[in-house]
Amino acid sequence: MSNPVVRWQVISPDPEASSAFLTKLFGWRTTRDNPLGYREVQAGEGGIHGGVWPAPAGVKPFVQLFVRVDDIDDIVARAVALGAQIIVPKAVLPGGDEMAVLMDPQGLPIAISTAQ
Amino acid sequence: MDLRNRLTTELNRRLRRNPRYSLRAFARSLALHHTTVARLVNGTRRASGPMLTRIGRRLGLSDPALTSMRRHEHAARVLDASQLPDFRADCRWIAMKTGVELDDVNRALHLLIHERRLEMSSPSSWTIIQP
Repeated sequence: MSNPVVRWQVISPDPEASSAFLTKLFGWRTTRDNPLGYREVQAGEGGIHGGVWPAPAGVKPFVQLFVRVDDIDDIVARAVALGAQIIVPKAVLPGGDEMAVLMDPQGLPIAISTAQ
Repeated sequence: MDLRNRLTTELNRRLRRNPRYSLRAFARSLALHHTTVARLVNGTRRASGPMLTRIGRRLGLSDPALTSMRRHEHAARVLDASQLPDFRADCRWIAMKTGVELDDVNRALHLLIHERRLEMSSPSSWTIIQP
């Protein structure tokens, strides 16, 4: 089946504290060695890796899933037709991957990405 | 609303109430030199973080309003950086150029894209979307 969940992301008002908590508790590793300065979290072996991103003002922490898709535009169009809203329109990341963030009709944000 | 827009809005509000109100009087109320205020209003200068806080307090902003102004100021700085001839699509580079902390650059980037003010149009270039 295509379109797998490939990443999770914690959206946190205090990303440094959230990152430190995860690494101390689970022994995971975090690196920001990428052009966005994004906190990539190397979770346990065999698990799904993730990341931590600073929350916009007034937003409480939550976890967001990343679904890998082949065609961002196609998925965005289909999502909107199904009642989703576009939170972050398609963006080309410095590494060349594309991503967008949608809000499903129940109000749950979900990210889509072409990244492996 | 970033600092420039906030100052412009407030100055215009005071001018409507008192047509003889001056930039110098406005600057005095902010405990700043009038040339500094003029440069902040015309966009040729950006305020440092502490100056931004002091001005916000002088304007009587609440904590949430001050936080919002700070976020929009960060966003304005990211937009400024995106127009530099040596621009690099790299948040650390933007942080270094603007003096905005890396996490706040990330937040500003999210805000700008969400509000459709900036498009990450390619791996190496970002485009300001004109309103």
